[in-house]
Amino acid sequence: MWMVNVRSPYGARRLALGMFALLLAALLLFPGQSQGLLDYLDGPVGQLVRLPLEAVSSIDQGIASMWHQYVSLQHVADENRRLKQEMDWLRGENNQLREAASATQRLTSLLQFKEQALPLMVAAQVIGRDSSNRFKSVILDKGESDGIQRDMGVITPAGVVGRVVKTTGGTAVVLLLTDPNNAIAGLIQRTRDEGIVEGVPQGRARLKYIPMLSAVKEGDRVVTSGLVGGFPRGLAIGTITAIDREEGALFQTAELVPEVDVNRVEEVLVIQTPHGTSGETAARPGAGTKGEP
Amino acid sequence: MKKFLLYAGLVLLLVPLQTTLLPHVAIWDIKPDLGLVVAALVGVLAGELDGLLVGLAIGWILNLYSAGDLWLNLVTTGGAGLFAGLLAKQVAEITPTILAVGLLALSLAAGLVAVFSMKHATIADTWWMVQFVVVPQACFDALMGAVLLWVVEQRFAVPRFGMLDRYS
Repeated sequence: MWMVNVRSPYGARRLALGMFALLLAALLLFPGQSQGLLDYLDGPVGQLVRLPLEAVSSIDQGIASMWHQYVSLQHVADENRRLKQEMDWLRGENNQLREAASATQRLTSLLQFKEQALPLMVAAQVIGRDSSNRFKSVILDKGESDGIQRDMGVITPAGVVGRVVKTTGGTAVVLLLTDPNNAIAGLIQRTRDEGIVEGVPQGRARLKYIPMLSAVKEGDRVVTSGLVGGFPRGLAIGTITAIDREEGALFQTAELVPEVDVNRVEEVLVIQTPHGTSGETAARPGAGTKGEP
Repeated sequence: MKKFLLYAGLVLLLVPLQTTLLPHVAIWDIKPDLGLVVAALVGVLAGELDGLLVGLAIGWILNLYSAGDLWLNLVTTGGAGLFAGLLAKQVAEITPTILAVGLLALSLAAGLVAVFSMKHATIADTWWMVQFVVVPQACFDALMGAVLLWVVEQRFAVPRFGMLDRYS
């Protein structure tokens, strides 16, 4: 047996209680200052912790990819057939949308509207999940040193994932769309009514503050409104599945199923500048992408 | 110095364990709070001061990888180490069962503080979180703590803090 001596001097009780009381007082009386002091140390400590985190994460991803590529191949033939059918259908829809887009482009130039710039984005990989169960967030392998800052929007090609709430030098924490503490400005695509999309603890989301006179119905799609926050207009958020119209209430509320399965997301794009600048051509070499979300 | 390195290694190892590996063993999307369990174990085995300091370090570093508030992580994890150390002094022998009961209470208290301090939750959301997050997590933490203590007792000879002073 190994002998591990972790004993400390016996008179430590008063010291421990005193320190705890002092810490509580500092956090309650000077929240900004005490937080600022620890924020100062976050950078170097974050870089140190990043090393074991990335090492374990890469091993984890290696095992997961081996599992998915070699072991878990049941139902792949069925899925392949279904995806091919879906691809044919999407090709047809894509052709129609191309036609519509070129018509819109012609009309836009005819009406002399300002061309909408494309957002500047950085690609990042999910290396972990929130360390507690009370928040729904993911950890990215890019941070402040890659130009990621708080409140930047995070998406996949399918739609909105969440918002950056915390950064260290090499990592960033993204609060997911399904977390109750998140709020994103949304727009019902068909009726053009605006509202606020919030998460619910059960893992879905809801659109709040829809006007009572809105003709919203189940199946309507909700997209980002682009008015506030780190998202450009028109990114998919989710589809309405139920509407709550209470008598005497000022607004309606709708339940949403998010477009992106945020619990399984592995790679994301962080939007650095939601509205971009026309004429800008390339993102940071090797780190980012610039293009249509 | 040896003790400091032991604790530093423990804290550094906890981050990838909690954020990358534990989500794979989550049941109904609930994973144990290894930080709280380790802080309480250190409090029991090494005394309240060590429990508090290691708990504070764990709370701070895990907070870098959580969307939660810093003060809450510091107070709950540091407090768990401190109170586990203080409570352990009142018990002659700490068995895995006794530790599990203590951890259940500590985890419930920490979870309730966290849930009731959430700013945007409705009453229904709060009650849902108590039922489906706080209580299952407390059970999970208790089980994890009991297993870890059993492993530590089987594998290492760790003299419990204060016991030698008490009986010498």
